[in-house]
Formats: sequence, structure tokens, C-alpha cells
Amino acid sequence: MAEAAAKSANLVEVRTLSKIFTTRASLFGRQRSMTAVGDVTLDIPRGRVTGVVGESGCGKSTLARLVLRLLEATRGQVLFDGVDLASLPGSALRQLRRRMQFVFQDPYSSIDPRYSVSRALLEPMLVQGKTLDAKKSVEHVHRLMAMVGLNPALARSYPHQLSGGQKQRVGIGRALALQPEFLVLDEPTASLDVSIQAQIVALLERLKQDLGLTYLFISHDLGLIRYFCDRIVVMYLGRVVEVLPTANAAPRHPYTRALMDSTFEPDPLRRRVINRLSGEIPDAFNLPSGCAYAPRCPNATERCRSERPAIAFDGGHALACHHPLQ
Amino acid sequence: MAFLSVREVSVQIGKMELIDRISLDIEKGQILGLVGESGSGKSLTAMAIMGLLPLIGGRISHGSVTLDGTNLMTLPEADFRALRGRRIALITQNPMTSLDPMLQVGAQIDQVARLHLGLGAEAAKTRSIDLLQQLRIPNAALVYLQYPHQMSGGMKQRIVIAMALAGDPDLIIADEPTTALDVTIQAQIIQILVDLVRERGLALLLITHDMGVVAQACDQVVVLYAGRVAESNAVNAIFAQSAHPYTRALIACITRAGQAAGSLTGISGLVPSAASYAAGCRFQPRCTLAQAICSDVAPALQSHGQGRVSCHFPQGAQHG
Repeated sequence: MAEAAAKSANLVEVRTLSKIFTTRASLFGRQRSMTAVGDVTLDIPRGRVTGVVGESGCGKSTLARLVLRLLEATRGQVLFDGVDLASLPGSALRQLRRRMQFVFQDPYSSIDPRYSVSRALLEPMLVQGKTLDAKKSVEHVHRLMAMVGLNPALARSYPHQLSGGQKQRVGIGRALALQPEFLVLDEPTASLDVSIQAQIVALLERLKQDLGLTYLFISHDLGLIRYFCDRIVVMYLGRVVEVLPTANAAPRHPYTRALMDSTFEPDPLRRRVINRLSGEIPDAFNLPSGCAYAPRCPNATERCRSERPAIAFDGGHALACHHPLQ
Repeated sequence: MAFLSVREVSVQIGKMELIDRISLDIEKGQILGLVGESGSGKSLTAMAIMGLLPLIGGRISHGSVTLDGTNLMTLPEADFRALRGRRIALITQNPMTSLDPMLQVGAQIDQVARLHLGLGAEAAKTRSIDLLQQLRIPNAALVYLQYPHQMSGGMKQRIVIAMALAGDPDLIIADEPTTALDVTIQAQIIQILVDLVRERGLALLLITHDMGVVAQACDQVVVLYAGRVAESNAVNAIFAQSAHPYTRALIACITRAGQAAGSLTGISGLVPSAASYAAGCRFQPRCTLAQAICSDVAPALQSHGQGRVSCHFPQGAQHG
């Protein structure tokens, strides 16, 4: 198909996206602002899993919300299949939303706790103005439940009767209800037990394969990210510091290295030597003027403290560091 | 007898038995990892050792807990109170359960030393600042004067560790001490705990759900499943030749780089709730090796190689 041939390899392109939050001036202090996401440029290739990893406050969840325009960006663009999301009026955005969905860490934070599983799974259709007759509704619900591995007997259950893993399956089922192409998954397994976390990851792998989905996968867990993702975006205090083109690419940013060195291997014969001196994450309202990682970085120089390194792309590898490793 | 010896302890709340004959031993200078998923009984075990079950309407219905030869089961509450904080200290997941938001952290550390060691105000302060320095907190004298809300989560957890150390205890129970922290901070806190055990010869009971933390820090491991010990052994044996199918499945659930795509399966099914415990092995409904006997007869905890396992079909079958 000619149209298909013209399609870019990237389903989503993020261009110099920023989100600045500002506190109001009050009795307790003057107005302050923080850059939750600063100048992020990122390609999300079709049919692949792009992972975003970082510690608390790095802006990964804000980025996830900006990409689906659940939050308005301060600057920059998100192009979904070539269309600038910010340019769309509400109705057109709602049309497009069908093709991109969000999976939350706690799925029932976005679902009415009085909704049964069946109603939660039907709601996306209703929001899109599609009404199904009783028979079609049951079919639709059962099809989604089968896709996410839920026993159809649970259709009439309420969230308090479900385990954490079952609730997340409902969350994923809801996200799939409108047959989207793109899922943004924000720590979908973070509050689950390990054995259940592995079940959900296996489910997401299978769904991606079967439905040809594109994922943006947000997690603080580098082990999980390196297992599941094709490309890895590393964020620190609102900025992308490195993009690894493959899960096994050697890190060149000292922060990525530190993150890897802090992740314990499940093997007592490969214990980590922990550097005791690496300090704390600075206050996001009070960032240093140069590289935000400089105060913790063993390789930092005067230049790092005064001049923020720009991100430079080298093939699929991107890096923002004045003194990269090797 | 080991420094801390928990022998076949069962715990009941009301009529429900939530822990069924758990045993564990810790020597001084040793780190024992108590691993399991939610509902396995990890935190209840900690409460049982600390004599805190009455607070939640629970009791030890079977077995014994002995610390340094003293039977804690028969200890009067007044004596137990003198023991907590002095000989046994607790570090919890959320540091704010241990810290008073209205009080400078230094004063909170002082309190422990003044109460348990009978130090005067000046001596306690000197000692507290010294402890903060030992925990490699920069500007310890300044931090001493700060309030909890002025600190990051990692710093608060270090203050809680300083409080735990202030009574000069022999045994520290750390219940998921790094679960709420970022990985780079987690690594530092785990390193601090390991160093303390090595330098001071403390006994540490490290409760965690994270097999990475276990591999990094522990000497001995006890794996719990649904209120029972599935397996216990030295850390190397747990990872290299686990005998219980649950331990192996749990290790297989950990994602790591370089692992083949699609190789992750998880453990099918759910952890049973205490209300639905059936006869037989509690892991049986999720176990790939289960036979008829597994649903009928609960396997006893038996010696197996260097460790102990409760399974009718343990792997690596040396006969114990």
C-alpha cells in the first residue's frame, strides 16, 4: 500500500518537549518554578518497546502524560503518526485517543470503584459514543477478558474483590478496548508481587506480539527495562541524559553506569561494590546551573558545573555528557 | 543454640493461624534474609520476635523464641520493653513510622541512648553525632538539628538506622528497609547495613521481597510461602541449587538484561489467602511438579543437603 510505504518508522516523535510547573506566590514564599521535563526529543519506533528509566523526580511519569496530552506541554511538540497533538481541537483529539491508551500503576485510580469489571471494560466504548446491545456487550467483555487472561466468571466482580494482578489485567483490558496501536505504560507492575509482576510482563509481551502494538514503558526498575525494552531512555531530573539503542549497549553516561551498578543481580556470586560517597538527588526547584548530575558525578569538572551538556545523537545512541565513559 | 533462635513458631490472630511453625536461626555477625511475597508472614514473624503481637490482637500459639539464651516467650512485658530498643532494634519500610515530625532528629536519637544507656544530655548528643558520622552523613552536626521534613527519604532512613544503633543493640530487624527508596539510595543503605554487621558483629534479620537484595547482602535465607517455610539454606545454595519449586520459580521471575525475550512466565495463579488455606502443600495449586499427595498431605520441613525444605519432590535430591 502506497500509504503504508509513506509512513515514518516512528509512530510517535517527541520534539523539544518541556513542562514547567510553577508554584503560586503566597505567604509562605515567592513564586518558584521547576522544569519537570526539559527539552526532551525522542523517537518511538513502531512495533517496538521504548523504555524510560529513572529515579523519583526524574520526570518520567510527567513525560508519559505529556506524550498522550493528558497534560499540556509548556513548549515543544508531540507528533502522533505525523499529527501534532497540540494542534488538534478536542473532538479530533478524542478521535485520535482511540489509537493511544494509558495504563496506570494503579488501574483503579482511573476507574470508578463502584464499577464492575464488565462495566469498566465497556466504559471506553461508551466514552467514544458507541453503544452495544446486550449480546454484543457480553461478547466484547468476554473477548477482552480472554485477551488479558481473566476468568470470565469475574465479569461481575468489583475491584475490592480482585487481587492486584487481576486489577492490572482489567486496566490493560480497558486500554485495549478500542484496539489502539500505542500504549503508554506507567510503572504497570510496580505495586505487584514479583511472581505477579512477571505474569503481567509476560502478558504485555504476548499482546505486543499478537496485536503489533507500540509501547512506551516507564519504570524505575532497570532490570525489568533491560529485559523488556528494545531501546532505553535514561532520565535524570527532567532531562534525557542517555538513550541506549539496545538493551545491552554499554552505557556512556556516568549516571546510567551508576544506575546499573546500583541494581543488584540475583546472584550472590556477582555482588556489587557500592560506592558509599555518591550523594543525594538535588532539589528540583533548585537545580545547579550546569549538568544536574554534576554534584554526584565522580568525573565532574568545572565545565560540568557551569555549562549544561547538550544531548548529541550518534546513530541510535544519544548522550548528554561533557566527559562520557570510554 | 543460635543467638536468635525461632523454633516452630505459629502465630494466630483470633482463630486464624497465619504462621505455621516457622523456624529460623541467626548468629551474631550474620545476615539472614526472610523472603516472601505479600501475605507470606514476613512482618508477622518480626512482630512475633519483638513481642508485639498483642498490639494487633495476635499471639504465639506454638513454639519458642530465644535471644542469647533468654526465652522471650516467658519474659514479663516490663522486661521485654527494656529489651526493645536496647538489645533488639527495628527498622521499618517507612521511616516516618519511627520519626516524630515535630522533633529535631538529633533529639530523637538522643532519647534512645538516654533511655536505654542512661546517658546525660551532652554525652547522648556527642554519641548521636558520632553515630551520624559513622553512617557517613555529611555535616552531621547540622543534620542533628534538622527536622524530618527537611530531609530526603534516604536521609530519613539513615536517621532511623542511627536511632536503631543508639541503644547499642545486638539484633536489628529491618523490615523492607529500602523498598520505598530509589535504587542508587537503596544500594547505599544496604551497604551501610552490611558494613554495620561486619564491623559491629550485629545479627541482622533482613525482611525483603527482593531477591536482588537477598543475593547482595544475605548469608542465610529463609523463603516463606503462605505462612510456612518453603526452604532455608545458605545464600549460594538458595540461588545455585534451590530445592523448592517455589524458590526456583521466584528466582525465575526476576527480569535481567540478556534474558531471552518471552522467557518470563511468572507463577500462574494467586497467593492463597489465610482464609482459604487448604490441607496439603499451599503452593500445590501453582506448582508445576504437583502430584496427588501434594494436595492431601502438607510436606514437613526436612533436612535436605545443607538446608531444609518442605516439599514432597525437592530438587537436587540428596537424601537428608
